[in-house]
Amino acid sequence: MTAYLLNLAQLAAIFGLLAASLNVLVGYGGIFSVAHAVFFGFGAYAGAQIALNVTPDVLLVSIGGGLVAGVLSLALALPALRVRGEYFVVASLGLQMVATTIFIEAEPVTGGLGGLVGIPPPQLLGFSLASPWAFLAVCLAALLGGLATMRVLMRGSFGRSLMALRDSESAAEAFGKNVALLKTLAVALGCTIAGVAGGLFALQMAFVNVESFTLDQSVLVLAMVIVGGTGTLAGPLVGTLLLLLLPAALTFLPGIPPTEIGAVQQAIYGLAMALLMIFRPAGLAGRALGKR
Amino acid sequence: MLLAQLLISGIQTGVLYALTAAGFALIFGATRIFHFAHGAAYALAGYGFVFAVRAGWSWPLAALLATVLAVGFGLFMDAFVYRPIQRHTGSFFTVFVAAFGVVIVVQSGIEIGFGRAFVAVTSPLTHASAVLPGLYLARAFWIALAVAVVMFGALGLFLARTRTGIALRALAENPDLLRAYGLSARRLSALAFALGSALAVPGAVLGAATTGLSPSVASHVMLVSLAASVVGGIGSLRGAAVGGLVLGVAESLVVSVLDTQWSEAAGFVVLFAFILFRPRGIFGAALAR
Repeated sequence: MTAYLLNLAQLAAIFGLLAASLNVLVGYGGIFSVAHAVFFGFGAYAGAQIALNVTPDVLLVSIGGGLVAGVLSLALALPALRVRGEYFVVASLGLQMVATTIFIEAEPVTGGLGGLVGIPPPQLLGFSLASPWAFLAVCLAALLGGLATMRVLMRGSFGRSLMALRDSESAAEAFGKNVALLKTLAVALGCTIAGVAGGLFALQMAFVNVESFTLDQSVLVLAMVIVGGTGTLAGPLVGTLLLLLLPAALTFLPGIPPTEIGAVQQAIYGLAMALLMIFRPAGLAGRALGKR
Repeated sequence: MLLAQLLISGIQTGVLYALTAAGFALIFGATRIFHFAHGAAYALAGYGFVFAVRAGWSWPLAALLATVLAVGFGLFMDAFVYRPIQRHTGSFFTVFVAAFGVVIVVQSGIEIGFGRAFVAVTSPLTHASAVLPGLYLARAFWIALAVAVVMFGALGLFLARTRTGIALRALAENPDLLRAYGLSARRLSALAFALGSALAVPGAVLGAATTGLSPSVASHVMLVSLAASVVGGIGSLRGAAVGGLVLGVAESLVVSVLDTQWSEAAGFVVLFAFILFRPRGIFGAALAR
């Protein structure tokens, strides 16, 4: 039971970081990406390759994952500069679908549908992190570090310019803000942190395959941010805890046949998304967003 | 010959995509609602049809049930999801998330009811006969083509000639003026949802009778109609039709060069290219930025 809870806590920290990173795009930048799992995936595959071929050092793996995802985030920044609103959502959907196919087909790098197996247990500067407590501490440190970075950046000039741009692009431009640069940086920041989370995820699971980086995952992360409340520091964390613990809690619910439990979970979280948007669109911890 | 064969199957998929995408475009054009749950109407219609045929209903009756389900779903979304949201926020993203939630609910409901595997109804429609050596045509091809031509013709006449059709187009142009003329925007938007959802039915029924359906068809169709509308130019019926055809043919032709796994991705590469280089699509008016 302790092992199960520790595992859940590690995942919660990793997904908390992931949701918080998407919040930079959605909540602060007004860039509604439905392709966040792609960059989580880039980070995870890069991290897994580093762990398999070089060293399973947590620092190296997560930084490597972050860098790869950050560089590739240009693929998302490009449409973000061209189009907005519904069009961008559709563009990111397209990116997500193409990336899923690439993850399946690029077998030498990603292992195809089978994925990459046998990722060695993590280390930190030569010390083994095989104990789940130690790895949990690392995940929490990464989460806190990421949150602190985002808080500092979002409170500073960068964050304020970004929010100005979210609320009115033309007004921000009239005030001399470099819209293209701000958007590119926001996308790069969010995707880099997603890549770091991906690297940690690869080490945590000791196995990665495409299942974790599909459209469903992107929507799940998006739901975490939205359910919690966009544009707040606490929102994504609240959403993550809720959506990760919901399946765990449902497992203990009597009366659902075990074969259907996945579908029932999906249905409940879909219903929660729809009802929340109808009755409390600002999320559990948030203010109203993106009124037009 | 392989190329011709692929082209033909591409056209068959394409005209059905075109109809579904036209439904999406009709709804968006009239109501300015990005109906992300359009694919769920398709899935409900398809599975409803399979259910009815399995229960021993005749085909026309089963198709009627499929239509009732799709139209009912469209009206439900309009009245109980989109309208309440639009009453307090105008954000398209709120609409998107809510619609996606509904898609997930429909998809998992179908999974619970029918299982994750493909379902199909057996029919003589897929029986292919050779028209030329090495070139096979199934009856489903002609049916898909005929249905598409008839429905597009009827839709075009309806929108151009009848008072209600003209009112629908007016709703897209200027809702305030429409109200000033004493027409009900709410009733017209409900009509757009009913008509648009009904346009998904032929694709769903023929899909169930030829390739089969799986629970993920809801999100697949949603993506295809989105992509087709963007490629064609959002809100333009003609554009959505051409876009759907282009996507269907692209998906099919890519198989001659690459693995079948790439066929879905091909459509989205086309989409991505359009968004980067010509975001207003083939027929769309310039984007209001």
